[in-house]
Amino acid sequence: MDESPFLRMEGIYKEFPGAVANDHVDLTVRRGEVHGLLGENGAGKSTLMKILYGLYTADEGEIYLDGERLNLESPQDAIEVGIGMVHQHFMLIPRLSVAKNVVLGMREPADVFRDAPEVTGGDGAAGGGGGLLASLGTNRLLRTLASRFTLGLNGPETEIRRLADEYGFDVDVSATVRELDVGERQRVEILKALYRDVDLLVLDEPTAVLTPTEADRLFETLRRLTEQGLSIIFITHKLNEVEAITDRVTVLRDGHRVGTVETADVTRDDLARMMVGRDVLFEIDRSPAAIGDPVLDATAVHATDERGVEALSGIDLTVRAGEVVGVAGVSGNGQRELAEVTVGVRAPSAGDISIDGTDMTGQSPRAYVDNGVSFVPEDRHEYGCAGDLSLMHNAVMKEFPDGRFGDGLRFDYDAVKQYAERLVEEFDVRGVHDTEDVVANDLSGGNLQKFILAREIHRDPDLLVANQPTRGVDVGAIEFLRKRLLDQREQGTGVLLLSENLDEIFDLSDRILVIYEGEIVHETTPEKGDRERIGLEMNGASVDADGAETASEPDEQVPPVRAPPDHRRTAE
Amino acid sequence: MHFDIELTAREDIPKWMGYATPVVTVLVALAVSAVAFVALGVSPISAYEAMFVSTLTTEFGLRETVIRAVPLALAGLAVYLPMKAQLWNIGAEGQLLIGATVGTWVGLNVALPAVALLPLMLVCAGVAGAAWAAVPAWLRARWNINEIITTLLLTFVAVDVKNFLVRGPMQAPTGSFAQTEILPANAQLPTLPWFNVHAGILVALAVVVVISLLINHTRLGYQITFIGANHQAAAQAGMNKRAVYVFVLVVGGALAGLAGISEISGVQTRLRAFFEPGYGYTAIPIALLGRNGAFRVLLAALFFAVIFVGGSSMGVTLGVPAAIVDVIQALIILFLITAEFFKSYSIDMTLRRRTDRPNTGRVGGDT
Repeated sequence: MDESPFLRMEGIYKEFPGAVANDHVDLTVRRGEVHGLLGENGAGKSTLMKILYGLYTADEGEIYLDGERLNLESPQDAIEVGIGMVHQHFMLIPRLSVAKNVVLGMREPADVFRDAPEVTGGDGAAGGGGGLLASLGTNRLLRTLASRFTLGLNGPETEIRRLADEYGFDVDVSATVRELDVGERQRVEILKALYRDVDLLVLDEPTAVLTPTEADRLFETLRRLTEQGLSIIFITHKLNEVEAITDRVTVLRDGHRVGTVETADVTRDDLARMMVGRDVLFEIDRSPAAIGDPVLDATAVHATDERGVEALSGIDLTVRAGEVVGVAGVSGNGQRELAEVTVGVRAPSAGDISIDGTDMTGQSPRAYVDNGVSFVPEDRHEYGCAGDLSLMHNAVMKEFPDGRFGDGLRFDYDAVKQYAERLVEEFDVRGVHDTEDVVANDLSGGNLQKFILAREIHRDPDLLVANQPTRGVDVGAIEFLRKRLLDQREQGTGVLLLSENLDEIFDLSDRILVIYEGEIVHETTPEKGDRERIGLEMNGASVDADGAETASEPDEQVPPVRAPPDHRRTAE
Repeated sequence: MHFDIELTAREDIPKWMGYATPVVTVLVALAVSAVAFVALGVSPISAYEAMFVSTLTTEFGLRETVIRAVPLALAGLAVYLPMKAQLWNIGAEGQLLIGATVGTWVGLNVALPAVALLPLMLVCAGVAGAAWAAVPAWLRARWNINEIITTLLLTFVAVDVKNFLVRGPMQAPTGSFAQTEILPANAQLPTLPWFNVHAGILVALAVVVVISLLINHTRLGYQITFIGANHQAAAQAGMNKRAVYVFVLVVGGALAGLAGISEISGVQTRLRAFFEPGYGYTAIPIALLGRNGAFRVLLAALFFAVIFVGGSSMGVTLGVPAAIVDVIQALIILFLITAEFFKSYSIDMTLRRRTDRPNTGRVGGDT
């Protein structure tokens, strides 16, 4: 690694109406390093990177790349000098092939119209290599037009394939993007940047959409890229990723740079303190639960997903009052369907669901809500709230029939507003000056999630189903959310927690189940559970190995319900 | 020289834009329509003077405006209410015609004193409009069939049903015109003692108040708003999406039916085969302009009424084709759609030479 700075951003200052997003931030990145950019949501990471990528113009401050001062006015400018960015939300067109997506926005004229034609005969109408086309190819006006409006993919495809091989990307360049999974799509995004010949690659929370396995693969890819001399800025708010992949890390808080450190020299606690500005408890104090009667009983539940493909293949599941049952699994193994079936949003295709001992199979979501079932859905924006409506509206999305909010036909918005304000206050939802004025989409991910959890918990439910409750949420909020989940458990609520984050499962659960391809393949407890084993089960190891689920038998001897120990457990 | 236009998605939409949009839209549409006047050799200023000033300053103009606003407001609400739940009732025209036809039939065939007959006509017209909208409503709620298509297509059916009835079973035996008999006096909406406007205005005002209360002060209104904002979250929360979908479309159909019968009973006095007023279509821009509240729908209806009345009087005084009104109406829709775009994006325009690059000049708000 080269010690001299490759990128220098000096004294970057950017103000938005009412907020300073970057207050004289410095950032230096060395050649060939992975530089972490760490901070809570709203700390100014994205703004800083948007300035670097030419999406925003800084009010003050200078950017030097390789010693040369840059004046970036648009992403095109940034790409020209060799800065690439992979956004959190992919900018790909699903209908088009990988190659077409990669060349999107660039001029790749058909071979015959290239300035120095290497290959004659391209694809489609423009190719053909015939004499007529070749002669047309020499007409100047036509060439000018054609070089702008034709597309030839032969050259680019070869080049993309070469790049993919060089960096060990396993991507079929002629496949349509629609056919690719999330990890592959992300590699296409990276390819897109590489194809534009970048020296500095910015990745905006790249793991937010990835499963742990895919994230590991991404890290491997990134290492290979840095070996080739590329510099990478890795935006994240996850501490374990900082440790796993970065060489150095710059921490931002409230628009200020807190510091830049060598990753090897600091601990997770140090980073968390820098990031949040106070000590963060990774260990959660848990008292033994008073476990009561079953609140959820699912027997032999089958369900299909949107496409009619079976997503749950016979799930038996019991959650009792006062316990947290954690379901671990790689995303897409039926968690979403399981969560939806247990809260009545999705009707099971077979099997029974009972809540508090009452058979609820086939009942409406309303009946579940009325029977004390709360739900924190995986997708906050799609299912958790109405983004364009005020927090006041969103606060009573489930409680609105209650008599407190007006009698008869009347709906008392004053009472609703008071209720919303109480939620905001009790759950420390930040960035709300007026619940009537602030819409759900105005809140950051963490604050919106706090608000949603507040709404679901404030009803004092018997059963709380939480699917990925802390995904995409910053450390401070995660701590808060987890604590509230455990508080609720002490209030006697049965919690079904679905998470891809094993730490979270281990920290919060009284029992751990592993879901794989719509079945519970393993059951254990945090005390007896072996992370490696669980990791394997999550990937279907035992099923694939012997063609049967024999491997999970021993642990099933564990009685399904047991009191958790009363010691503190520390996340690794 | 390089001229660049860059669009950036706004992260939040400034509050004032919500209020400014309808007004600016209308002004821009009128400004662009001026081109048409110039092309016709008429001064736009005198045209708009004829259109607005003389309409709004004469008693005749005002009365005509209010009369015209009655069906427009009712039909506007017929589109507005489903729009609140994110449904598009494009077929208010059909519901209006069916309401007019059924209401007329009741008026012609039921012998009752006015106090009983008029309410009965209104109720039957409303029920007929509701029934006409109930088909798309049920298809949408049960089978998720696009209500834009079904409501629109049913309009053509409604036109033919009306034509068949007026040229057949309901045709007046006297004379060979394709029209019904004149409604008996007890089946005609009375003219109010003041201002000479028929009583349909009272119906329209009452409906505006009721719809406004419904949306802003009832649980059902809350559910309609919520389902309109995110129907998936609403379903998760246990709201009954199907019932609400059926409700808004059916009530919308009923309001369109009321618009139809109030126009026949209050203005036309008989149903003619040519009766295709287009109010149900104009209702769409009215609902769009007034989508932030029932009272704004009323305002938008009044505005369109002014344009209609002013447009036809302008046709007489200046010899401008009354079709100019359609031009204005179309431009308003176009600019409303454009305004949506400007609400969501801010626009940067850059003018630069190749050598030096001056900073971007910003138009619109920050991103």
